[in-house]
Amino acid sequence: MVVVPEFLIRRIYQKGSLKKTDNGASLDLKNVLGPGFISGFNYVKINDVVYDASKVKFITNGKEIAGVEVSEENPIAFRLGQTGTLIMTGKESVVDGNNKIVIEVMNPEAGKVQLSVDDIV
Amino acid sequence: MNITYDKYSLIVDGKRVFIKSGAFHYFRTPGEEMARDRFFKMKSGGYNTVDIYFNWNYHSAKPSEYDFSGIKDVRKVLQAAKDAGLFVIARPGPFINAEVNAGGLPFWLLKMEDVVPRNRIGTEYKYSPKYMKYIAQWYDQIIPIINEFDNVILFQIENEYATDTMEEEYMRELYKMARDRGVTCPIFHNDAYFAGLWADCVDIYALDLYPYINPNQNWRQDNFCFDTLDNVEEIFRSAKASSPPFIAEMQSGWFDKWDGSGYSHIREALGDEHINIMTKTALSQGVTLFNHYMTVGGTNWGDLACDEVYTSYEFTAPIDEFGVLQNNFFKAKEINYFLDSFDFTCTEPKDFEFYQENIYSKLRYDNINNCDWLFLRNLNQEITDVNLPNGKVLKFAPYDMKICPINLDLYGCKIEFSDVEIFARLKNETEEAIFLIADKNAKLYLDNGEIISGEQKDYKKYEYVRNGKKTQFIFITKSLANRSWFMGDRIIFNADYVLPNGAVAVDKNTEIAYFDLEYKFGKKNCIVNAFSDTARAIALEISDVEFCSPEIDTDYDYSNWKKISEKTDAFSCDIYDEFIWYKARVPNTITEITLSARHLFAVYINGKEVINRNSYKLEKLQEVPETISVPLNKNILVKSENELTILVQNLGFDKGFSGDTNSPRGLVSFETTPKMPVEFFVRDKLSIEHTKKYESENPYLAKISAEFDVDIRKDVFFAKYISFENFRCRRATIYLNGVKIGRYIKRRNVQEKFYLINEFLKPHNKLDIVVWEKERNIKSNWDFKSDLKNVIILLGTFKTCQLFK
Repeated sequence: MVVVPEFLIRRIYQKGSLKKTDNGASLDLKNVLGPGFISGFNYVKINDVVYDASKVKFITNGKEIAGVEVSEENPIAFRLGQTGTLIMTGKESVVDGNNKIVIEVMNPEAGKVQLSVDDIV
Repeated sequence: MNITYDKYSLIVDGKRVFIKSGAFHYFRTPGEEMARDRFFKMKSGGYNTVDIYFNWNYHSAKPSEYDFSGIKDVRKVLQAAKDAGLFVIARPGPFINAEVNAGGLPFWLLKMEDVVPRNRIGTEYKYSPKYMKYIAQWYDQIIPIINEFDNVILFQIENEYATDTMEEEYMRELYKMARDRGVTCPIFHNDAYFAGLWADCVDIYALDLYPYINPNQNWRQDNFCFDTLDNVEEIFRSAKASSPPFIAEMQSGWFDKWDGSGYSHIREALGDEHINIMTKTALSQGVTLFNHYMTVGGTNWGDLACDEVYTSYEFTAPIDEFGVLQNNFFKAKEINYFLDSFDFTCTEPKDFEFYQENIYSKLRYDNINNCDWLFLRNLNQEITDVNLPNGKVLKFAPYDMKICPINLDLYGCKIEFSDVEIFARLKNETEEAIFLIADKNAKLYLDNGEIISGEQKDYKKYEYVRNGKKTQFIFITKSLANRSWFMGDRIIFNADYVLPNGAVAVDKNTEIAYFDLEYKFGKKNCIVNAFSDTARAIALEISDVEFCSPEIDTDYDYSNWKKISEKTDAFSCDIYDEFIWYKARVPNTITEITLSARHLFAVYINGKEVINRNSYKLEKLQEVPETISVPLNKNILVKSENELTILVQNLGFDKGFSGDTNSPRGLVSFETTPKMPVEFFVRDKLSIEHTKKYESENPYLAKISAEFDVDIRKDVFFAKYISFENFRCRRATIYLNGVKIGRYIKRRNVQEKFYLINEFLKPHNKLDIVVWEKERNIKSNWDFKSDLKNVIILLGTFKTCQLFK
């Protein structure tokens, strides 16, 4: 895994953005690190619930992109300052109080990038 | 030399200086003469500073042993920089990355107990007093040498460092170590994350910027890659308001990897537009110190390379691996000359209301020249009309960037606005000559209403006189600009390059022109007599083919080899060479061996090959370890006690940026089925590096030899190569006069041309190529030898120039 310090990666997560949805969860990201690409959504884990790419959608720049559509061959641009919402479906995971969130994505240059944060709902 | 700084620039002996630096690796461009050649070329291209990494590993093969002799004499490198008139940015690590073996950390250090390389494991900080003790040893060696040179203006500690918790202890200690050893110039660190890291631990905050690091990416299409650069002034100001914006590594090329896309692809993908955009955008953001990484390409000869990269470290640099100037050099030269012509060390951002799709704009007020400079960049795919608020319409070429003066007062006239590129300015008390690059789409507007078209022929001149002072505009075309050299008080035209002493280099009979303000134009003919046609490569005559791996023969005496127990990896054996031999005896009761080796290996039993494999694999930028099981039977294990030989080729240790420098190499694991202890004897290197007697019966490693002569003259620059274009073998290691200068492994986009490093060339040369081939290609020993005699290896010349005083 690439040596990007956790505290820098964590800055991508928009604190307080985690929300319960009917059948899952949503949260917001903002790229504050530098321009780049996402070449895969490996998984999102909220507490003990793991959402694989097939259960993840990413809404950015007004477009909805299914997690499984994103790959090394079909990466999506994530510009500096760009925001997006991750929507996870299939199972409820968010609890009142503290929630543990892990997001693992792929980047063509850095490989696996894992973001691990806590957020309170 | 007294070096200070303020928020605008570095100040050397009380004078503001714009730092135009280029990175150079003395270990990859070995020897004083090669360093001089490259430094002179840098200086003539307008660079005023060279950035030098000092590679701890290169100088220290054993604990407490340091070698600064011969080609490792860094004093000679630093003296060459001084003689060329260059400042030096010294970067002695301890860790340097640079795609060198183990990131520049000595191999012996990596195996030391209680040493945590770089005081971190992954991203977790772990302070190691023993590591710090060894750094002190290294600094004790290298800093006194650096301190001997008063042209060293900046000193870097560590390299692209970060941890999760960002404890400052390590960086502060490095800073103190440098100061305690007499470093007086400003100290900085290069933040790879442009996040203001370590700004409080150093004097000047600096960062690295590489917008294009994925050769599969098309920066012209995904042009948002410049987002960070476009906002870099804000990053600098919020990180450290008191120090000048400094891009410690600014992309001017990129490195290729095993299985990469090849340097020709990367060079084409970057084009000369990329360095133009990078550098001018940096200027638009108030940057007054930049370092093009790399400015000089190099060669991973010997065991310099980390596992990721192959022999060439061409880096698509402005001065390539062979010392030949490339198109991005000429573009960098134009910008450097412009910066020599107009002092850019004290500018302020200024509001500029303008928007047009894919057009970047930035306005700066120049406190010294008392004018504005408008920076414009076109990232549209086609020629674009840019409609400026001042009513001017620019026809802008795709992916171009320009610096346009506004209200620039000159001796004889005032430029209201211009998008004609300024090449260089000569001036004295009463007269100035401004050389402009002809461009049919550009115009120069004077404040008297006159408009000068940029569509001009070479040397077309316009003169303006005001209050007894004169300004001349002299146009030159882009092709002439590439061959024009600004020497401060004069310009030399039509040369391939020039030396700081005014000597000119040409590759054919040439009429050189000179211009200075006193004598105006002069001419001189240079008649080349040093070389005939060198354009055609010639096939080398193979003088000899020998089998050269007696280690595999069954009667080979290995009793004096090092005996090892249990662990067999390179660290445990204390062998860090590219090749490691393992010998052992195994009974015929075993049915299988299971092994993992990094990176290429072959197993021989009783002198016969049973497997030959390339285990080097990267997936998602991570090394993928491979474990292989090899079934054995009575046909292979023909004796009750059988001789086992394993040869492992280690392509290098991890460079330590994202992986661990101390990941094991060599035979990483070995087991038999059924499990039984095996006692190994080990030795480094191929036989030809140890002894002259290496003839063997077995054909697995064969040495092809050829001899050739080179006419070496002091007044001639040349760069020679051998080419493996039609090479049928899969792997080869190349030795020039006994020095290992390259490794060839057949892959996709394989490196086919190998630089015959000038430092190792003699008037009469011997080339040895050791081919390590799989058995399946060997029909019979005789056939194989005869096959190899017919291998075609071409000897060619990249460039030859004769120098004239």
